[in-house]
Amino acid sequence: MTTADKLHDLPLTETDTNRLEMPVEIDDLVSVSQVLSEWGYLAAITGLDHGDRLEVLYHICHGPDVITLRVSLDPQAPTVDSLHPVFPQAGTYERELMEMFGVEVRGTPDRSRLLLPDDWPADEYPLRKEASDD
Amino acid sequence: MTERFTIPIGPQHPALKEPAHFAFTVEGETVTSASVRLGYAHRGIEKAAETRTFIQDLYLMERVCGICSHIHASTFARAVEELAGVTVPPRARMIRTLVAELERIHSHLLWLGVAAHDAGFEALFMYSWRDRETIMAVLESLTGNRVNYSVNVLGGVKCDITPQLDTQIREAVDYLQERTEHYLHVVNTDRVFLKRTKGIGVMSTEQAIRWGVVGPLARASGVPRDIRVEAPYDAYADFPIDIVLDDAGDLAARFTVRLRELFETYRLIRALLDNLPEGDLTTRFPRRIKQAGEVIVRSEAPRGELFYFVRTEGGSSPSRVKVRTPTLPNMHSVLELAVGAQLADAPMILAGIDPCFSCNDRTSLIRRGGEQDIWSWEKLRQYGIEVYRA
Repeated sequence: MTTADKLHDLPLTETDTNRLEMPVEIDDLVSVSQVLSEWGYLAAITGLDHGDRLEVLYHICHGPDVITLRVSLDPQAPTVDSLHPVFPQAGTYERELMEMFGVEVRGTPDRSRLLLPDDWPADEYPLRKEASDD
Repeated sequence: MTERFTIPIGPQHPALKEPAHFAFTVEGETVTSASVRLGYAHRGIEKAAETRTFIQDLYLMERVCGICSHIHASTFARAVEELAGVTVPPRARMIRTLVAELERIHSHLLWLGVAAHDAGFEALFMYSWRDRETIMAVLESLTGNRVNYSVNVLGGVKCDITPQLDTQIREAVDYLQERTEHYLHVVNTDRVFLKRTKGIGVMSTEQAIRWGVVGPLARASGVPRDIRVEAPYDAYADFPIDIVLDDAGDLAARFTVRLRELFETYRLIRALLDNLPEGDLTTRFPRRIKQAGEVIVRSEAPRGELFYFVRTEGGSSPSRVKVRTPTLPNMHSVLELAVGAQLADAPMILAGIDPCFSCNDRTSLIRRGGEQDIWSWEKLRQYGIEVYRA
């Protein structure tokens, strides 16, 4: 099966010019990413806080096209699997995701802080909506 | 038997131009592992953007980076314009592109100087920075500012190209073209310099693709990745550039690719000036955006792909702004390439990606307990003194 066939089988919806999206269950994230890794590169991981749920967006790019995988998470215990085995540079993005949104990333190689200072409180995640920026 | 040591470099170190912390484990002179810690220039910009209006955020985003400020502001402006469904007039699009290319010249010449300095080639450092002043003078005449030019408004630009400026830009470009030819000759022939660059920090095409690196770093490893070509925006669809590639993948290739792509920039600037259409600089921009939405906008910054994700629930503010600067994916390659290299080459491998730390670092406000704690400058200064005394 070629990459094009495998992509064709994914339930992608076109949301904008050159933009495709699909919701992904936590358990399918790594296998879907594996397919997409034959097609493009992981450009960014975006965290979103909707209040009652968190969402993690994985943006995979190839030429002008961006495919976004959307994973919904429970804000009380948000956990995803690391994409490091699929995209080696994912580790850096995951460090940012962990400290900014408090998302647990299973199996990521480096769990140390990337951006926040050493004495930043362990249970405070600055890009969650409840964190004040005053 | 050699002993294993961990050598910390940074956050403050003579080989670094901006703060970052690297830990290199070495056996003898050979690096066996590397890790990085960023955030020393983290300022809370993504978070701050959520509580400000789009217009305020335009100024905030311009301050993500002091070197490539224009590309941040114009990428953010494009995102907000897309959310509002506003089309920018053709003349404004051309001026945005023109300034982006002027910025690329100043950024590449700045990098040439910094990288030459890291290699111990001080004369090249001084000459390239002297010549960079030509472009800084142009940017100042055009916008009134040497950095943070503030060219953009939502819906267009606020500075125009007068006939006088047209002449000044052409003269600057002619002069720099000649100088760039000279620099290209120097970096390819100076034997001492080549010892520091030829065959050092080699990244194969497969590695570059696998690690998802962007910009001149990818192009120096033979990967044709350039957002100006892959997903043309502003004036690049009508005025395409040719991708400059090199297959060598070493530091020397990173020098030649950046210098050679300056010739494309010079050509493009002349073409833009020759074909600048008459017309408005701005179009009406609504005070409020009617509907919720989210957009992804990508640009080719001097260092590579700049990625913006902007979401709004409608109204006059974004609910999320995500910025992925080119240094972040490229930083991963430094950690990989440093392993197996000589420790003395590590700063050059880092310089090879043209790192921009203030671009990487964006969020920080300290809140302890429930109380808001505002520190005076004097209190902060005293705190700093006590921390370092301890």
